Order: sequence, then C-alpha cells, then structure tokens
Amino acid sequence: MKGKCYIQGAAAITPQHTFEGDLLSSPLVSGAGNMLSIVEPDYKAFIPANSLRRMTRLLKMGLTTALKAIQDSQLSTPGAIVTGTGKGSLQDTERFIKDIRQYEEKALNPTPFIQSTYNAVNGMIAVQQQVTTYNNTFVHRGFSFESALQDSLLLLAEGVSHTLTGAFDEISAEHFYIKSRIGHWKTATVNNAELYHHLSPGTISGEGASFFVLAAAPTVNSYACIAGLKMLYKPSPATLTAALSAFLAEQQLTVDDIDLVLSGRNGDSNFEHYYTHMDASWPSVPQLPFKHLCGEYETAGAFALWLGAHIIRAQQVPQQWYPFQHSFPGRINRILLYNHFFGDQHVFILLEHAVIPGA
Amino acid sequence: MEELKKKLKVQIIEALNLQDTKPEDIDDNAPLFGEGLGLDSIDSLELMVLLERHYQIKVEDPREGRKILQSVQSMAEFIQSKQPA
Repeated sequence: MKGKCYIQGAAAITPQHTFEGDLLSSPLVSGAGNMLSIVEPDYKAFIPANSLRRMTRLLKMGLTTALKAIQDSQLSTPGAIVTGTGKGSLQDTERFIKDIRQYEEKALNPTPFIQSTYNAVNGMIAVQQQVTTYNNTFVHRGFSFESALQDSLLLLAEGVSHTLTGAFDEISAEHFYIKSRIGHWKTATVNNAELYHHLSPGTISGEGASFFVLAAAPTVNSYACIAGLKMLYKPSPATLTAALSAFLAEQQLTVDDIDLVLSGRNGDSNFEHYYTHMDASWPSVPQLPFKHLCGEYETAGAFALWLGAHIIRAQQVPQQWYPFQHSFPGRINRILLYNHFFGDQHVFILLEHAVIPGA
Repeated sequence: MEELKKKLKVQIIEALNLQDTKPEDIDDNAPLFGEGLGLDSIDSLELMVLLERHYQIKVEDPREGRKILQSVQSMAEFIQSKQPA
C-alpha cells in the first residue's frame, strides 16, 4: 500500500546494548556523563581485517549495523540503499582539516578526505554487498533520517522489492565542545538515567547507527508497519496540534487509537514547551521518552523507530530501561513517535502491528 | 641503509594502520602490493604521502611510483638516491 512499509530487518549500535543480546534483559547503561558513546561490538565478525584498518568509528558502526540488518531480514541484497546522517564521519573530517593546517595544504592523505564525505558509508555497503542500484544519503539536520525514510517509501511504492534504510551519526570531543558553545548541552554533568529530572537549558549528546530493511508487503517476520510519516519545519505549537489531527485522520485514527507515544523529550528547558504542548493532545495515552537511552543527535529518530519496532514485535517495553516509570501499557499495537531537533525539525511517525492479509 | 629500512617499516605500519604487523614481519624484498602485505591502490597514495611528509620527496610520475613502491628495499634505495651526499 502506498505510503506504508514493513520493517523486515533491524539493527542498531547505540549507547545501550542494542546490537547483541536480548533487548528485554539488557541493563540500562548510564552514568557516563553528558556525552553518550556507543557500545562498540566486535567489528571483525562483519568486516575483513584488511578493510577494517582504514575505517574510522562511524564507518565501522554504519557498515556493521547495515550488514546486521540485512542478515536479520533474511532477504537478498536490497534494491536500494538510502540513509541519513546529520554530520557524517566527524573523525575523518577533523583529521582532514587538521592535516590541511599541519601540512599547509600539501601532502594530504587521501583516506580521511574520501571517508569524510557523507556518502562514504553507503559506498562501503554497496561495495560489500555488490549493490549497483539506487544509492542515496540525505543530510538535512533533524530531517536526515526521515528524508531517507520518505525516499524509501516512494521507492517501495514504485516497485522496489526492499530497501536498506538507515541513519548514522557520531559525536567527538571537539564537536561536543563546539556545540557546547552554542548551548546545546547542559553545563552540569547529568546521569542519563535521571535526564528528565533535570529540566534546564541544554541536553546530553549522543550517537548511534540504526538500519532497517523495509519492504512493501508484510511477512511473518515483520517487526511492524510504518503507517505514516509527517515532517514539519519550525511549526508553531498550534500548527503541530492541527498537523497531528490531520496526520491521524489520514489513517482514519484519533489519539484514542494510540497505545503508546514515544517522545523525544530530552530535559532541555529551551524546547520543552513543544512536548508540554503536545502532552495536551494525548492526555490519556501512555508516554515513554527515549533520549536518556541514546542522547540527542540529528538522527536519534532512527533509534526511536528501532525501539518502537521492537516494542511492537515483543508486545512489551524493556522495563529495565525505565527505572523512573511505574506503569507500562499492556497491549501495544500502535505507537506514535514524536520527536524534534532543537525546535526546528519536528517529526511524527506512526508504527503499527504488521497484519498479514488473510492470515 | 639498514637503519633507513627499519624506520621505513615503522612508518609504513603507522601510516597504513597495519595493526597486526610488526616491523620484523616485513621482508625487505617482499612485494608490498598483491601478495606480501596485500596493499591496494589507496595504500599506494598513502605511501606517496608518506614519502612527501617524512622525506620531502614528491613522486610526480605514477609509472615511477610503481617501481619505487615495489618493496621496502626499493623505497629505501629511492629515498637514499634523493638524499644529498
């Protein structure tokens, strides 16, 4: 169906133990300060040592997550690779810029330059998987992943069998410092498990890679159905409320049909008013935040989608990740994701339990 | 010459991030590309940069580069030939 797709495979490398093990029993990783870093898996199981030696962090995590998602889907090579990233490989960009300065624009090493380009991860996936079809990377700040998702929905509607769709972003000490100068992060050190108790200017930073194999039709292995996507740039609170009603009406739904809201709330008092305003739109719907798990970054919405898909498939919330929450919804067939990136890019995604026609 | 080759091996390992390789694992005359260390075309660019950064030698002709980068021995001989007597 046009505008819908099914998650057939998923993988994520995040500051939590999301890559391996059981989601429902992995302990909450917390207390690492205001810059959350990914839990790195053993990349050697996915990438040959000779290729690994040249790759920086983001490339390793992006490629490995993509390969795991394909493996998880049990499908053949995808018909398209579509990704989003807010910053690309920071480590390579920083190295390249430092080299320019240190060597006075002479004798520059080609590798950091090649790998600093935003589409380097896509290129590596394509080479590894021998995919010579559609390949695109979107770089639109807080809409990066969602643009990739939108593009994937269009490709699936045009007849592509399945797409590899994902997002990746990293944080570095230097980038953290630069963004701290414009007030992105909290000045006091905050334990991520207690993020929402510290409503003050700024939030905590994060990083991660999340990949999905998306298909136009469901199977018994589908995690969930992505039933709708809406992006709004710098909306007023009133526009947001109206857009939500219209978004749900398109699906013949109201907020009463939503079992759970996954919200991008992040303890930042500068932008909390959007979440407070939207709380009034879903007063009786259970709500869970996710930024204490992954931190704030441009493509954190991809992690929320990964989390939502797992919750729908398991029909259970990983409760150990929510020590501050006392009750959890029982039946979870429909999840609404609402996230925004520093007040500019706002996103609604509707996730539903995948129903196989005639089953 | 022996000192130069030793130094060159350390620099190659560092520049190409050959994590599991030690200087003594690299044979002076073993081919750097294909068999031997199994390096590729991007590595050859990195080695050109190494020559420029550490020895201030710029290789302009790619055909010349092919001969120079054959082995540690050929690289060392080339560097020595470019150094003032």
